[in-house]
Amino acid sequence: MTEETTNIKRGVPVWAQVTIWTFLVGLLALVGFGLNRARNPMAEIGEPVPDFDIVYYEGYEYKDKTQMKLSDLQGKVVVINIWASWCKPCEQEAAELEEAWQFYKDADDVVFIGVDYVDTPAGANEYLTKFNITFPNAPDLQSTISSILNRQMGVPETYIIDREGVLRHVKIGPFVSVDEIKSAIQSIE
Amino acid sequence: MFVEFGYGVLLVSFLVAIYSIFAAIYGATNKSASMVESARRAMLLTFPLLSLSAAALVYLLVNNHFEVSFVYEVTSRSMPTYLKVTAWWGGQAGSLLFWSWLLSAFASAVTIRKWDRDIEFLPWVIVICSTTLVFFVGMVAFYENPFTRFWLVGGNVEPHLFAPLNATLFTADDGNGLNPLLRHPGMVIHPPMLYLGFVSYVIPYAFAMAALITGRTDDRWIRLTRRWSLWAWLFLSFGLVLGGRWAYDVLGWGGYWGWDPVEIAAFMPWLTGTAFLHSVMIQEKRGLLKHWNMILVILTYALVIFGTFLTRSGVLSSVHAFANSPIGPLFMGFVSISLIVSIALVIWRWPDLRGETEMKSMLSREALFLLNNLLFMSVLVVCFWGVIFPLISELFTGQKVTVGPPFYERATAPLFAALMFLMGVAPLSAWGHSTLQTLGRSMWKSAVAAVVVTGILFVTYTKNIIALVGFFLIALVIFVTLQEFWRAARARQRAQKENFLTSLSRLMGRNRRRYGGYIIHISMMLMAIGILGIELFQTSTQGSLAKDEQLNISGYTLQYKELASWDDRGEGVNYTRAVVDVYKDGEYIGELNPRIDYYFDSQQNMTIPGNRSTLNDDLYVLLVDWQPVSNAGATFKVYVNPLVNWLWIGSLAFMVGIIFAAWPDRDPAEEPARSGVARSSKQTSAAD
Repeated sequence: MTEETTNIKRGVPVWAQVTIWTFLVGLLALVGFGLNRARNPMAEIGEPVPDFDIVYYEGYEYKDKTQMKLSDLQGKVVVINIWASWCKPCEQEAAELEEAWQFYKDADDVVFIGVDYVDTPAGANEYLTKFNITFPNAPDLQSTISSILNRQMGVPETYIIDREGVLRHVKIGPFVSVDEIKSAIQSIE
Repeated sequence: MFVEFGYGVLLVSFLVAIYSIFAAIYGATNKSASMVESARRAMLLTFPLLSLSAAALVYLLVNNHFEVSFVYEVTSRSMPTYLKVTAWWGGQAGSLLFWSWLLSAFASAVTIRKWDRDIEFLPWVIVICSTTLVFFVGMVAFYENPFTRFWLVGGNVEPHLFAPLNATLFTADDGNGLNPLLRHPGMVIHPPMLYLGFVSYVIPYAFAMAALITGRTDDRWIRLTRRWSLWAWLFLSFGLVLGGRWAYDVLGWGGYWGWDPVEIAAFMPWLTGTAFLHSVMIQEKRGLLKHWNMILVILTYALVIFGTFLTRSGVLSSVHAFANSPIGPLFMGFVSISLIVSIALVIWRWPDLRGETEMKSMLSREALFLLNNLLFMSVLVVCFWGVIFPLISELFTGQKVTVGPPFYERATAPLFAALMFLMGVAPLSAWGHSTLQTLGRSMWKSAVAAVVVTGILFVTYTKNIIALVGFFLIALVIFVTLQEFWRAARARQRAQKENFLTSLSRLMGRNRRRYGGYIIHISMMLMAIGILGIELFQTSTQGSLAKDEQLNISGYTLQYKELASWDDRGEGVNYTRAVVDVYKDGEYIGELNPRIDYYFDSQQNMTIPGNRSTLNDDLYVLLVDWQPVSNAGATFKVYVNPLVNWLWIGSLAFMVGIIFAAWPDRDPAEEPARSGVARSSKQTSAAD
């Protein structure tokens, strides 16, 4: 038995205490940072959407440009679809979005932009290939786009911005049919 | 009237809870029994007060009071009454009130018990429970108020609690309605079960803190809260399983678990809670791991609050949608303070929490339990890392990167396999001392049987090596556990000259926790069969079919027959329902009716799969799109999910096991006392 050890009352060594507190403070600071990021003001329906940069994924471009600002697209209806490769509900609408894009792309009045939210490049690539997505797609660099638009912090969410750059329609959750996408866009035209 | 009343009693309960904190602290520090008693009564009073507040809210929900913004957001006229009641926890504000109400119920239940021998714990248990309650009620009263009403102010509709100047009350004609995804029976009880689990863990934490503050660091706090931890674990487990079943039925991707941050947030306290259930036994039996148990219970509590915070603050990216809300920083502050105070207390009492003996054998039961704890902690670390990783990557690279399900699957699969192996070995080891020889002697028969089963599966079912390892472990655990039942019941049968079944039932009744635990182990293995099946053998296909066209998958043939669409105005739903004939190996076995329900009020769709369920597999058919009727074509997604039903069967058995283990004993005197350690007082029952 170890009677002798039970009588020695030893506290937590200083180095361990320092480690514990440093770790705890670091962790809390990290979460605090995330929280701060999550609390940016969001664009509201009927209000102009603050400008942001779009840097397309390799292999994607719009009008031969691999990066642009949202404001470059003024004069067109912009459909921004926020998705992620880990998001199962996104898969439900992926083929429909592509089909709707095929319908609109030649008229050159409506542009679809996929924004990949919190993802790995490999996962994103696999997803885009799997659903054969051809409309321009961009990662959400520094989470700027989602911090402006992504109101529920869920995916998929789709935002339709009119020709003047005003947010006009928000769809939370997947579209179920091409018709639903078309009627959402038509409601703006 | 109901609004003012509901909010009024809410405020009163907030003040009463604050009073109980200060009265309890004063009573404890000044040794004033009457102040402690006053604090206890105040604590008890919060339950009826919050019940009244909740009743007012439910009244408003059920009676279509759409002038109240919460009622407007979560109900609509077309919803049946039971859904209007359950809409109580269908939105942020209501669910926080629900949380508070449950906590006051549990805190009351725990303060009602006889306290004579543990009176020094009482004030501090009240302080912890009331502080948590004040935090939650405060959030409901001041930040996420379910009693806020709409007011017409100068042509605009604004939400306010009380009438602003020159404003008239605005009542909408109809409400938004509950999110149709949440109208599933599983979803009606999934959140309350999780909340019950979360809230129940406040009680063991409160006792642990009381033990640290008072310096009474023997295992009394553990014995007092043992049953609470079991019930908490039951609710949490049930909540998780229901969530999985709901996802399987409703989300339309043929899965039950997606390693989504919100799922993980509920899973993390379950991991520490499970580790805690095992490690408390070591403290009870051997007087070891006192530090560890404290840390586990603090972690569980912190993860409960942290999990609630993560799901509601928008910090994490998730498919579980919760609106951004002002309560994030408050939660953050509360988690920080409770972690800092708890850790400071543990460090302060560290010397008093030393073990009473030492581990002597690496194969003793306590050593294996410790290993089990380390494995659970490893799974926790994987989960925590995955959840927090997007934040870390954003901090250092500016880009949020998630780790995704493959990371979790790869990292946790070996850990789960090791846990399964332990489940097979640990029940055979003895407290204090075991050797490879003793273990081998009691295990070899089961191991041989498991090898035989695996061999049969290799020949008849699969050549997949991961599946075979999985099935071997499953068979091993089941055989070892059944052998344990058999061995103990036979021994008793011989000694008592009873028949076998009487022996078995008396044996189990005498040691509910152990045999309940074994039932849980077996159920876990049944669940593992289902998980292996769907993870390794799921097949899926998708196709657009014209009328009478066919689609083949894994021996099934589906033939699209017809589609109908109609409105049910009363329910506020448009149904689109397909008829699909199903053939197995050419033989007709029935029809399936995958559906899409469109809810007018919330303008949302819900995809209801047509599901044919057998013990062997599930044929799971989704209607994903349909062309206008003239075309008479429709697109289907089809999954074949082998063995998945074992997951649900195992879940049910799992619940039975926990209830069996947690059921109050008739005769508390029969509780085994830990031998070899001097106790100042006699063994008594655990808190019931």
